[in-house]
Amino acid sequence: MMKNEDTKSMITVEEADILQEIMNIAFGRAASDLAECIDIFVVLSTPKIKLVRVNDLAEHLNIEIRDFEKVSVVQQNFWGKFKGNAFLVFPADAGTRILSLFQGIDELTDPESNFTLVRETFLEIGNILIGACIGKIAELLGDVATYSPPHITIEKSLHGIVKDNMSDPDSLAIILKTVFEFNEKNVSGYMFIITKQESFSWLKAALRKFVDQFE
Amino acid sequence: MIKKILIVDDSPISIKIMKSCIPKDQGYEFYDAADGQNGVEKFKEVKPDLTFMDLTMPVMDGFQALAEILKFDSKAMVIVCTADVQIKAIAKAHDLGAFSVVKKPPAKESIAAAIREVEQALSQRG
Repeated sequence: MMKNEDTKSMITVEEADILQEIMNIAFGRAASDLAECIDIFVVLSTPKIKLVRVNDLAEHLNIEIRDFEKVSVVQQNFWGKFKGNAFLVFPADAGTRILSLFQGIDELTDPESNFTLVRETFLEIGNILIGACIGKIAELLGDVATYSPPHITIEKSLHGIVKDNMSDPDSLAIILKTVFEFNEKNVSGYMFIITKQESFSWLKAALRKFVDQFE
Repeated sequence: MIKKILIVDDSPISIKIMKSCIPKDQGYEFYDAADGQNGVEKFKEVKPDLTFMDLTMPVMDGFQALAEILKFDSKAMVIVCTADVQIKAIAKAHDLGAFSVVKKPPAKESIAAAIREVEQALSQRG
């Protein structure tokens, strides 16, 4: 992880605060979109922003989710002026509770159909939450995002998943993290949005433009 | 007549945005607090005529702070200003006694209209 002084030179405290508020608005919209699809209430938390070296990302994310030994992850890449990777992370054992919540299925006897349904449900949740969240961030910053199809990895350690998807180990990345909870089934998860150094100068200008409209 | 306005939000930039959306020609006095607990304490100390309350905050969230404020002063005027735009979140804020709910990011027109509604309600109260 970077020292405070390094972080300040890349992104100011005010820029981090603006980005945090934009993430807050964007994830609020994403939760609302999900709540419209199914009868659910998503408990939101205050998003956090961190600047780390890409090489340290996997270790950092593993520390963030140290309560989850294995995870199921929906990952989507996004492109625009704001580009990067989005990860929706659930504990591996959340599959059955997620199924119950989203498909109304409490018990499945066939392991194969169980796996397929869990996979499809995670993908659908990921598609809605990541799409709405990134879409709103892009909209607020005057950009338009395009996406790769969502990709899911079930019950693996996060370390391998992140490492497999990151190039440029020496560049920097901003992590936007939010924790959420589907409290009807006591399921919590994380969303990480990672944008790399190549987007920084555009991002800094876009954040300034966003806040200037309120001056 | 609104004189004192309290803004409860954990984001300094959000407080700045909110202040920029409030009409500047009315001579309002502004107070702010960075979480729900601090907001309740500030409310008791300042006794504002109008409070803008965020929902997603550390220490004490806006739902709890709203309930605490209305327990202390059942006539308190609290407008919830939130990024949590889920129907259930908005309904819960209304059920707890919020005067109205404004979505983030706020627009000058919607904030001005919300303040006018509070002014009208206060004048009807007499």
